Amino acid sequence: MVLAALFATGAAASSLIGRPAPDFALKGLDGNNLRLSEYRGQVVLINFWARWAGDSRVEMPALDRLDKTYRRAGLVVLGVSVDEDATRAGEFATAMRVSYPILFDTGPRIGRGYFLGTMPTTVLVDRSGIVRYVKVGYKAGDDRAFIDQIRELLRE
Amino acid sequence: MNPHRRPVSIATRAGILVWLWAAAGIALAAPPAAQPAPDAPPADFKTLDQEVQGVKKDVIELNEDLFVLEENLLFPANTQVAVYLSMDVGTFFALDSVTVKIDDKEVANYLYTAREVKALLKGGVQRIYLGNQKVGKHEIVAFFIGKGPHGIDYRRGAALTFDKGIGAKYLELKITDRVPKHQPEFVIKDWE
Repeated sequence: MVLAALFATGAAASSLIGRPAPDFALKGLDGNNLRLSEYRGQVVLINFWARWAGDSRVEMPALDRLDKTYRRAGLVVLGVSVDEDATRAGEFATAMRVSYPILFDTGPRIGRGYFLGTMPTTVLVDRSGIVRYVKVGYKAGDDRAFIDQIRELLRE
Repeated sequence: MNPHRRPVSIATRAGILVWLWAAAGIALAAPPAAQPAPDAPPADFKTLDQEVQGVKKDVIELNEDLFVLEENLLFPANTQVAVYLSMDVGTFFALDSVTVKIDDKEVANYLYTAREVKALLKGGVQRIYLGNQKVGKHEIVAFFIGKGPHGIDYRRGAALTFDKGIGAKYLELKITDRVPKHQPEFVIKDWE
């Protein structure tokens, strides 16, 4: 039953593919507010993560490497914490020492829009603001799949 | 040699040759057509481009009409209330977010990015809320959150009781600088 629920969540998140990415504005770790639609024209990788999801701890350094490699080519990486406790999430993000912006979503609205269930969930948005790729969960080495997708979207 | 190919007689070949020669002769004898300038696009392309531009214009106009129609249907004038936000100077206040409540019910909550604040400071006006309210008296309360003078956290409210008549109601949230007191000022203006 749990597996069925997880599968359903993954399928729901994947149903976003081909549709406009729901817009959001969130406060960042540095105190600045960021709005997704302001990155139109760039390829955006949104990583929804949570402190309690062990895979997030593995995924964030991998995403940091992707950010450093492809930033100059037009990639924007946004880390969105779905933790209810923004202070503790901020401490966690600081300890992870990632260079991409970390945002805090403490309400349910954005998570609902992206059909979030399993953490982490990563969404790739193309230059036109359309969701092109969704990855639910993370295993070491999954970032290779991101690289192929990112390269393809950056070429468009 | 292809075995399926039909043999062609010498007479047929000669006929084809004569026909081709005659056609070439006619083409060469014809007066040369006026050559277009090397850089000028052909007339057909020009017409096609004009047609495409015309279609684009029609689509934009149609989209505008649909937008107005949709707004009129969703928010008819007899119930329509629109709330706008403007900012003047902004020396004593760095805007972060605004929450709007009408009759104690939250109707808008907006987080501003640096780019949006910049646009407001350049004279931009944002429609923060568009909705329906019954005819009669209502109370609007707006909370402005940001950084005040000397970078301290600032949260101020402004309230106004307004009378919703049968026409559309326009309200404006204004953030201005009160220079003598070195403080920001928050006002709700009722555009009668």
